[in-house]
Amino acid sequence: MVPALVTLVMGIILGYLAQRSRICFIGGLRDFVLVRDTELLKGAVAFFITAWLAFSVAGALGLVDWRAPAYAGGNPTQETIVGNDRQTAEPATGGLGVGLPILATAVIAGLGVGLFSTLANGCPTRQHVLAAQGVRDSVFYLGGFYLGVVLYNLVTKPLLALIF
Amino acid sequence: MSFVTQFVTLAGRVVPRRVSAVTYGVIAGLLAVGVQVFFGVKPPPAYGICVACHTRDVIDWLANHLLGTRWEIAPVSLILPLLTTVGMLIGAYAAARRNNERRRVALGGHWRSFVCGILVMNAAIVALGCPTRLLLLSAYGDFLAVLAVGGVIAGILAGTFLLARGIVS
Repeated sequence: MVPALVTLVMGIILGYLAQRSRICFIGGLRDFVLVRDTELLKGAVAFFITAWLAFSVAGALGLVDWRAPAYAGGNPTQETIVGNDRQTAEPATGGLGVGLPILATAVIAGLGVGLFSTLANGCPTRQHVLAAQGVRDSVFYLGGFYLGVVLYNLVTKPLLALIF
Repeated sequence: MSFVTQFVTLAGRVVPRRVSAVTYGVIAGLLAVGVQVFFGVKPPPAYGICVACHTRDVIDWLANHLLGTRWEIAPVSLILPLLTTVGMLIGAYAAARRNNERRRVALGGHWRSFVCGILVMNAAIVALGCPTRLLLLSAYGDFLAVLAVGGVIAGILAGTFLLARGIVS
């Protein structure tokens, strides 16, 4: 209950600020490569550094449980397994501990995220902002986004299960 | 709608017209870590902001409750799904209205956007999350996410190359 409400409020704040700042983490690198504009790229870097510092401070104060609970390792009968996240359920700061196929999957899937986000003209955050602003293409993008969840459950997940 | 009007007025008073990308990055970073540390938005860890995963949670939650499916949901979203993306739409709508930037625009790439949406969602779920969460996870110290960010960077470079060369218009 609390997480849902908190993230709703956080989403409203983020959406408002994202609209005003035109933030796009994909567009940051794209703009830099195309026209050497670093404005958006600085936003992505600032996000990473802030999160890193905040995690470090919270960790030093003992507020972060670095060893996440192995919720997926013990009893994966419930529908609480998060995509690829069963790997991150292990110690997040530790060594690799995962095989080459999983490393390759992460890189290839990341490649897909970067490539198709660039072709769609922006990262998911930006598409949400544009859709709310009235850009029809982004409304279609969101439609694909929602259908993509269904297709993931029906197609991609069984396919991945075949490989691993 | 009066709530929206009130919110728009209030936000317009508090938030300046122009917000720099760095400001967004800093505030988003603090919020992403803050909701995990202070409001229990976990497990999984570093899940404060993720556009793709939170959307996935909402849709799978609805499907599980309405259609009786057993699609995967993050543990934190079991009772009620995280509503970040819904909030984002509301917030962006308010900001656009406040600053008279709401326009019906059609850029003419409807179906390409649609297909890209499908592909990005699938790739993002497999890759642990949207670009925002990949950065967040990297900051958390997850090596797999660092690799995925490398993949994203390579993907953006490839996409930009395709667009700049006119191979994909």
